[in-house]
Amino acid sequence: MNSFKLVTAAAIFAAALAVNPTVQAADFPDRPVQTIFPWGPGTAMAADQIIADAVSKELGVAVTLVSTPGAGGTKAFRTAMARKADGYTMISGWVAPLVSAPASGKADWTYKDFIPLHSGVAAAFAIATRVGDDRFGSFEEMMEYGKANPGKLRYSSGAAGNLPHKVMAKALQAYGVVAQVVPYKTDGEARKDLQSGVIDFVFVNPGAYIADKDGFEIGLVLSELPAVKKLFDGAQNVEDVDIDIGLTGLGPLGWTWWIVHKDTPADKVAVLQNAMKKAMNDESVKAKLSAIGWTPLEWDHTQYDEIIGSVSTQISSMGDGLIWEEEQIKKLRNK
Amino acid sequence: MLFEAIAQGYDLFASPFVFALIIVGLMFGLIVGALPGLGPLMGIVLILPVAINLQPITAMSLLLGIYVGGSCGGSISAILLRIPGTPLAAATLFDGYPMAQKGRAADAVGLAVSSSALGGLFGGVILILFAPVLAVFARKFSPPEFTLLAITGLVAIASVSGESFLKGILSGAFGLLLATIGTDQISMGYRFTFDSYHMLDGFHLVSIVVGLFAISEMVFQFMGKDLTDKPDIPLVRPQFRSVLLALKHWKNLLRSSAIGTFFGILPGAGGVVSSFAAYAVAKNAAKPHERYGEGEEGGVVATESANNATCGGALVPSLALGIPGDPIAALLIATLLIFGFYPGPTLFEDQPQIVGGIFLVYLTSNVALLVLGILMTPLFVYVLRIRKSRLIPVILVLCVVGTFALQSSIFDLWAMLGFGLVGIVLRIANYPLAPIVIGTILGPLLENNLRRSLLLSDEGYWIFVDRPVSLVLIVVNTGLILWVAYSTWQKYKASRKSA
Repeated sequence: MNSFKLVTAAAIFAAALAVNPTVQAADFPDRPVQTIFPWGPGTAMAADQIIADAVSKELGVAVTLVSTPGAGGTKAFRTAMARKADGYTMISGWVAPLVSAPASGKADWTYKDFIPLHSGVAAAFAIATRVGDDRFGSFEEMMEYGKANPGKLRYSSGAAGNLPHKVMAKALQAYGVVAQVVPYKTDGEARKDLQSGVIDFVFVNPGAYIADKDGFEIGLVLSELPAVKKLFDGAQNVEDVDIDIGLTGLGPLGWTWWIVHKDTPADKVAVLQNAMKKAMNDESVKAKLSAIGWTPLEWDHTQYDEIIGSVSTQISSMGDGLIWEEEQIKKLRNK
Repeated sequence: MLFEAIAQGYDLFASPFVFALIIVGLMFGLIVGALPGLGPLMGIVLILPVAINLQPITAMSLLLGIYVGGSCGGSISAILLRIPGTPLAAATLFDGYPMAQKGRAADAVGLAVSSSALGGLFGGVILILFAPVLAVFARKFSPPEFTLLAITGLVAIASVSGESFLKGILSGAFGLLLATIGTDQISMGYRFTFDSYHMLDGFHLVSIVVGLFAISEMVFQFMGKDLTDKPDIPLVRPQFRSVLLALKHWKNLLRSSAIGTFFGILPGAGGVVSSFAAYAVAKNAAKPHERYGEGEEGGVVATESANNATCGGALVPSLALGIPGDPIAALLIATLLIFGFYPGPTLFEDQPQIVGGIFLVYLTSNVALLVLGILMTPLFVYVLRIRKSRLIPVILVLCVVGTFALQSSIFDLWAMLGFGLVGIVLRIANYPLAPIVIGTILGPLLENNLRRSLLLSDEGYWIFVDRPVSLVLIVVNTGLILWVAYSTWQKYKASRKSA
């Protein structure tokens, strides 16, 4: 074969690759796929690492997590969106940057600006107090005290304005309690300060609760779901105390949905969706996730709009809890 | 109960595979630690996908090996090249590099390895003996105490500023300013981000450290006259006498290890702060003939024993409370979670064999570091025999790869180059660079804990006086500031007399 024929053959082959998506998809992925993860190391990373490992086995290449924390998770989204939409960058789309940040005007995208791959995991929240805190006989008594003494109680959800903060503020608004939020970089630091007695209540997820059951008194489970109540050993939930936080289903939970840039080629998206579906339906993966306190989610990409749409509406309308809290604290300071 | 845990963990630990992975982890850790940009955290992130497919204690042997090796590895490049491989080793170059310049490179590296291993063992013994008790002690440190500890750390700037006290303070202030860039932790508002998403979390510490130290150093080396000369440095042999050299400074070793363990126990403080604090204390406690900053062995002993002791300390709240002492400990917790183990009191009660296995792996990693590090010293020192015309491009490439690998971010590379220019200008103007690192690390610790304290308080600043530990720290800080002011005044008087 002379050089002209060789070049021609190569050009035809390249053209065939360009126009035939099945050929392209067959080669995809041929190098590691990165997943932009919006938080620092911690329990959420453990859950995403389990998923990444399972997806890696399905794709046959490494799937690495790139921790890109900052600005409530939005830095990770912006980083991922600035990259080439070639299927080699996935995003672990946690609710805070995906839905909550746009709802509070901190991001200029909506969940519709991404292509869904598969749902990941969810974790419930509960309000916990310190074991041995004898100032109050029960959580209800603490709330009564808080109502009678506005601004005296201190609480933390970890970072300010995160989803647990929004849900807790909504619950406190329902009780009519004005409490001072104390932001921390991580929820672990907040839990430590609960134990040391400088704050009165914090949010805990099932993982933190299981690790130190004797260290927490669960005051209120922030979900109406019976399965969530069971995770906290049957502690009272929002239905038991008859308060309406305006959030149901996934609404008051922390969750992630793996997504990609909307310009990602359809054939590559299909490969990733297929791999994720297989990974998330693997019983051993589900067992691993459940064992660390996370609930594996089974919704595939076809249910993204329906599920996230409903949650998005709920979250958009619950920002008033934070606004209410801020206004009440300002009033107290100005007195 | 802890000894029972160790006995139960022995069966999981006693396997050739575990030993082999400790060695692999240590070697990998020493390499990622020595390369500018990469560090133990990045090393563990890279290996995590492999580790989670191993048995739990086997995986922990690999990861703890990287943690221990990586925490020491940064000192090698600091000593040999004046480039701290990790921010942890930023204080090691004060005396490590001058030692190498005086022809004692092998001694300095051996001393760093020995001090790291002995400091790590100290932290390990404390971990085993007192983990649950110290975890309770750590709970006594809340925002008011952290605020005052940050001030203690800032006072250390005065100690590491050398002759130029005022310039040191200005450099530290520059570091504090850098720390304000990004998202405010309390209000979540953006500060000095200039509408760039790259700036939402401020500049990455590694970009700052690599830029300030490595890039500026390479430029100065490039401008030197001996670019193509073959350095006339004799080959060295492994020397176990460096262990004796470290033990000669036993008081310093114990004190610095205790400081390192203390800072490790407190979540958020970390190895960088501990190494600077240990250095500051060692320098202030030095005898008149000891000239810190000019190649004093005690300087290397202090910083290296402290930052490796921090590893053991950081495992205390991580294992006993489930609260990570630093980002690496957070990754180790995540790994244990993936295996279905919940670090915290439950782990000690329900799976003591895992706790015991981890203790044994950690102790063995430090003993192995001592042997491996000393055996590898000639290999490290060989770097000094390479012509600068070959070494400089390799180091620059490693700086780029290491910094890019953190977040796969081109912006981090630009930031690294920018800080390289800042480093060059500051060095020409004779401003010390280390206070910038201290300021950048302590800035958020100080600001956020001060603001948190005020949110917690019903009586404003009185919260700092009302709490006993906080009050003790106020007294200590006042004493330290007075001591620094007095010694600066004495130096000033002495310099006027000699003039």
